[in-house]
Amino acid sequence: MSTTTPSVALRVDGLSKNYPGVAALRDVSLTVLEGEVHGLVGENGAGKSTLMKAVAGAIAFDGGRLEVRGTVLAGGDPRQAANAGVAMIYQELTIVPEMSAVANVMLGRMPTVGGVVNRAALHSTYKTVAARVACSVPARARAGDLSTAQQQQLEIMRALVSNRRLVIMDEPTASLGPEDIERLHRIITDLKSSGHSIIYVSHDLDAVLDVCDRVTVLREGAVVVSRPASEWTTGTLIEAMLGGVSLSGHGTRAARGERGASALTIDELHAPGVALDHFDLRHGEIVGIAGLVGSGRSRLLRTVIGDLPLSSGSMTRDGYSVDWPRSPHAAWRAGIALAPEDRKRQGLVLGQPSAWNIGLGWFARAAGAFTVRLPRLTAWARPSSDRVAFAPDRLSAPAGTLSGGNQQKLVLARLLARPVDVILLDEPTRGIDIGAKAQIFETMRALADNGLAILWSSSEIDEVVEHSDRILVVAGGRVVTELPAGSSTRDVLTWSFSGGTVTAEPTPATSHREDAS
Amino acid sequence: MILLSHITGTLRQFGVVVALIVLVAVIGVAQPTFLTLPNQMNILSQWAPVAIMGIGMTYVVITGGFDLSIGATYALCAVVAAAVGQVQSPIVAFASAIIVGAVVGLFNGVIVTALRVNPFIATLGSSLVIAGVTLIITGNKAFVVSFAPFTTLGRDRLAGIPYSGVLMIVLFIIGGLVLAYTAYGQSIYAVGGNAEASRLAGIRTGPVVASTYVIAGISAGIAGIITASQLSSAQASLGANLVFDVLTVVIVGGTVLGGGKGAIWRTAVGVGILATLQNGFNLLDIDAYYQNVIKGLIIIAALATVDWRSMFPRRRTSEPSPPRTTH
Repeated sequence: MSTTTPSVALRVDGLSKNYPGVAALRDVSLTVLEGEVHGLVGENGAGKSTLMKAVAGAIAFDGGRLEVRGTVLAGGDPRQAANAGVAMIYQELTIVPEMSAVANVMLGRMPTVGGVVNRAALHSTYKTVAARVACSVPARARAGDLSTAQQQQLEIMRALVSNRRLVIMDEPTASLGPEDIERLHRIITDLKSSGHSIIYVSHDLDAVLDVCDRVTVLREGAVVVSRPASEWTTGTLIEAMLGGVSLSGHGTRAARGERGASALTIDELHAPGVALDHFDLRHGEIVGIAGLVGSGRSRLLRTVIGDLPLSSGSMTRDGYSVDWPRSPHAAWRAGIALAPEDRKRQGLVLGQPSAWNIGLGWFARAAGAFTVRLPRLTAWARPSSDRVAFAPDRLSAPAGTLSGGNQQKLVLARLLARPVDVILLDEPTRGIDIGAKAQIFETMRALADNGLAILWSSSEIDEVVEHSDRILVVAGGRVVTELPAGSSTRDVLTWSFSGGTVTAEPTPATSHREDAS
Repeated sequence: MILLSHITGTLRQFGVVVALIVLVAVIGVAQPTFLTLPNQMNILSQWAPVAIMGIGMTYVVITGGFDLSIGATYALCAVVAAAVGQVQSPIVAFASAIIVGAVVGLFNGVIVTALRVNPFIATLGSSLVIAGVTLIITGNKAFVVSFAPFTTLGRDRLAGIPYSGVLMIVLFIIGGLVLAYTAYGQSIYAVGGNAEASRLAGIRTGPVVASTYVIAGISAGIAGIITASQLSSAQASLGANLVFDVLTVVIVGGTVLGGGKGAIWRTAVGVGILATLQNGFNLLDIDAYYQNVIKGLIIIAALATVDWRSMFPRRRTSEPSPPRTTH
């Protein structure tokens, strides 16, 4: 049955995966040995998650070969992958909060005697496996009461119990403090010595270099280079992740001649997972928020509209000091509105017509308090839907039947239909095709030229760099710097990865303008 | 194919109306008394309380909520009307009952929105509180009102139609128009369809949801005074099991538990179906025990037809199947 030398835990051969319009993985080859901790790094969208999901059987792949400990995986079959020994620990942990620690660890693998749970065996297994990861959580503790680090330990224990020997950890340090990271790394080292293989996917380059034996860099869906960790430094890793990417041609546009008056200023903003010292957004300006996955871009935007609680902070609108919005409703009244990240879940009522969705939250003004009817809503929605180039004949179609790009236009049209000066767009281009993206950017620029102030975010850093006048870089929930017009993707990433902690490293933005031109 | 799907779509939408017409025809043929004017007027006054509470319940259900306490509120309001009616004019008595209903509704609304208690649990709890208060007030005795004008609403007629029936029809019209054509009504659909999107779009979802419980409370108040007036008395045991009839008329009409879809006209049709069945059973001399069995099966059948598509979601399509656009 075994076709490879037994020391190979995972062999990926020429793997490719296409999504409509994008090649997410291109001819990726990778070998992970038994007893190896293998780091996987790359920018947002470099293909790390896609690759790991393919290995775990969460998605199918289009070409290539995947072999785990001698078993050739068909792809798209999580059970087969698990049986072959793959355990995936997602960043969003899959703990059942209402169940006990022991029940979570033994999930689906309860030792039974004639159908009845064998408590003695259950607890002795738990004890053994808890000792292996030095986990002090009592078996009966409610999992939901545990810290993230402890929940993560339960997930690792789950992998051990089911004897899965290829453990994939996706951003394992994302919400851990320094001590917990150290502890996690001790567990990983211990697993390694007992022959487990670990794939460690992370943006945290210091952590990667600390624990991994080998580090592979992915870029644009392909493996750039794979080397022993000892041959890498943080600097060379960043270099490899960015490569020659897009340094030519890209770069924020030059500052526009005249910046308008201040539309929104924020000072000393502090909230759970959000910090910002000072920020000034002017009329006619597009400011982008860039950061790695999980850096807190959405949190920042949702805090500004009062949807997430504020600890402290002050705000001015058009030069006047205003109360911080305490709800999205209050933000709308202050002329600040957000087009949320998840259009289907947070943006639209899918069963209702498009025009109705443009009027959502504003029905009385849109059609009159007592005369809300679809024809009236449609007539009223028309000017704003035209501004975003939304096909008028779709105005009476249910929002759920539209494409992603049209749904995004719908959410934008809602903002334009109301008296709003400051527009916040959270991932306006996520999941929409290239043509629709271009239209969205065109619309954004036209709106800014009309005097609106726009603050937006995207997980595609190139996109933020190209379409913003200035950039806020977010790392670990903090706005670590504000980069001026003319900055490059490299500047943004350097700040993102160093998290503002290495203040000496980022080069001044101006030095890259030569590269960019 | 397109034509076929169009027909099935329309059938699904207006199937309840077809069901009502068929039912009326069948029972009308089997027992001609059913269609006589006196019998129809009888049905009207008999079903007015349930129908009116059905209006309030429809509002709550469209927000994605539930009001289990509506029967208990109804009994409390009837008792309040009768108690006040013993010493005060009917107007004062009726007004007090409606105010009590509104206050109870507000209480439910605040528990559900501000305290974020699941509506099912919240109103289950409050129904016990309300029923307890009613028993305390009455000492488990009936309040009898001997003042004749008190019974006008329940027993007298306007141009041959019972006042209670007239009131019911007027409330159906108002309730339907408010829900379908006002900004407030559309906010109710919005919150039930997608609470998060509504909140981010600037709707104050808490007050919108809470207000529907107030409407349900007021509807229980109005239903309570009709019953008190019909009986010229009221007692704590009035509302027992009534909540099931109210829920049945709402659900059978096709308003969807879970929110976002439904309409007042649907509840009117639901009342028609249930009233026709019950009256038909009585006229055909079918045993009351069997009636319950059949009623129960009808609720299950109604839910089964409304939800069958979401129970078997089609795989492979990432886009949701085109939702129905009507309420």
